[in-house]
Amino acid sequence: MVVNGGRRHERVEADAARCVASGQCAVTAPLVFDQDEDGQVVVLTAEPVGAAAQQAREAAARCPVSALRLRPAG
Amino acid sequence: MTAPAPAPRLPFERPNALDLAPLLARLREQGPITRVTTPAGDPAWLVTRYEEAREVLSDTRFSRQRPDTEDGPRISTSALHTRPAGTPEEEDREHARMRRMLAPAFSAPRMRRLGERIGELAESCLDSMEAEHARHPDRAVDLHEHLSFRLPVMVICELLGVPIADRDLLRGWSERIAALYGGEDAAAAMAEFEAYVAAVAEDKRGRPGQDVFSDILAVQAQDPSFTEQEMTRLAVGLLFAGHETTSARIDLGVLFLLGDTARRDRFAADPQGTARATVEEILRMAAPGGLGLTRFAREDLTVAGTAIARGEAVLVAINAANRDARAFEEPDAFDPSRSPNAHLAFGHGGHYCIGNSLARTELQTALTALFRRFPGLRTAVDPHSLRDHSERLAGGLGEVPVRWW
Repeated sequence: MVVNGGRRHERVEADAARCVASGQCAVTAPLVFDQDEDGQVVVLTAEPVGAAAQQAREAAARCPVSALRLRPAG
Repeated sequence: MTAPAPAPRLPFERPNALDLAPLLARLREQGPITRVTTPAGDPAWLVTRYEEAREVLSDTRFSRQRPDTEDGPRISTSALHTRPAGTPEEEDREHARMRRMLAPAFSAPRMRRLGERIGELAESCLDSMEAEHARHPDRAVDLHEHLSFRLPVMVICELLGVPIADRDLLRGWSERIAALYGGEDAAAAMAEFEAYVAAVAEDKRGRPGQDVFSDILAVQAQDPSFTEQEMTRLAVGLLFAGHETTSARIDLGVLFLLGDTARRDRFAADPQGTARATVEEILRMAAPGGLGLTRFAREDLTVAGTAIARGEAVLVAINAANRDARAFEEPDAFDPSRSPNAHLAFGHGGHYCIGNSLARTELQTALTALFRRFPGLRTAVDPHSLRDHSERLAGGLGEVPVRWW
């Protein structure tokens, strides 16, 4: 198990089939997500830590089509 | 036997532009969904709780267009509610094309690149506030006129390649088409707005520019199923939504920040570092307009155990849902530190606002620039005396007098 300051790493998963290219994640969590030329989600940092992890959780909670998941890594 | 209480008519009376209608909170406590009467006088359902609001907005068994039948419920006589509807297939096709076409143009990376330009435009708005103060040193300055209205309209005009000199025309049409009781005048304004957009399109076809409108026309030129009516409707929709909604949220955001001196000072001390979370809380709390998002059931279905018949209207009161204590602790408190802040200001599901990155960028940029320039900003009137234009679809304030000297 990966440990970081007592906190387990989380792995970010984006479901491209659900993505509607709203861009919410890329604006909420620019350290973790971006959009390709068509607007589809791109994961920049698969195992974010610190501020990036916080951004990723916020973006996942806010994704309008629940296309983002955070799972324990490892 | 007692007759059932008549279903209350929207929009509900609210005390000021910052607080919600008390009736909305009462209905939310009674249940997730209730019977109401639309501004047009027809029956509809109103969803007031967060979970159920998300559920309806994600449910593809709902349409955004009124069914094309004589007896379908009318929401209001705003021109945005009386436009002719297509079949569900046509609606889905038009929506899919719109998203495919516009998602790249409104993506977060594109908005980040636009951020610097939005910053310049915001500074020019602040310059005009200072100039206004110099002209009339004894008067308060109207933030709405100089920043909240002007910045979003400048940005959407640049993005679409529409002359900014026409902003007063755009403002006039936008107000009239969205008037809930507009009727014939709203329809006339829509016809003028569409004729204007069609003329701009004709001009751009001859001389395409580096703008979203020209991109839309290029797509249309390749797609025979993309009708002229769909194109003008889309362009009107972008011009309208591109400034009305953001304008109201800049005004309300500033009022929330100025509601408490310590809160204002905390933001002014580090606008850049706190703008992102602050804007999300503004989006959750700001509640212009009194209707919410409109849906129509494409088939018989149930919401929270309540049977909804095919063709019935369901209004999703996102303003009420965003202050549902089941989803947000101390929901009426302005708290930028809440996390996650999964508000429904841009809707939810497949119709989530395509302009959300633009709106977020504009709000972050406008507030950062404003409080850097005027850290001592304060309102020149009691903020609770300011009223929301709930007789307009998108709501919004008429003026926000401020001082910084």
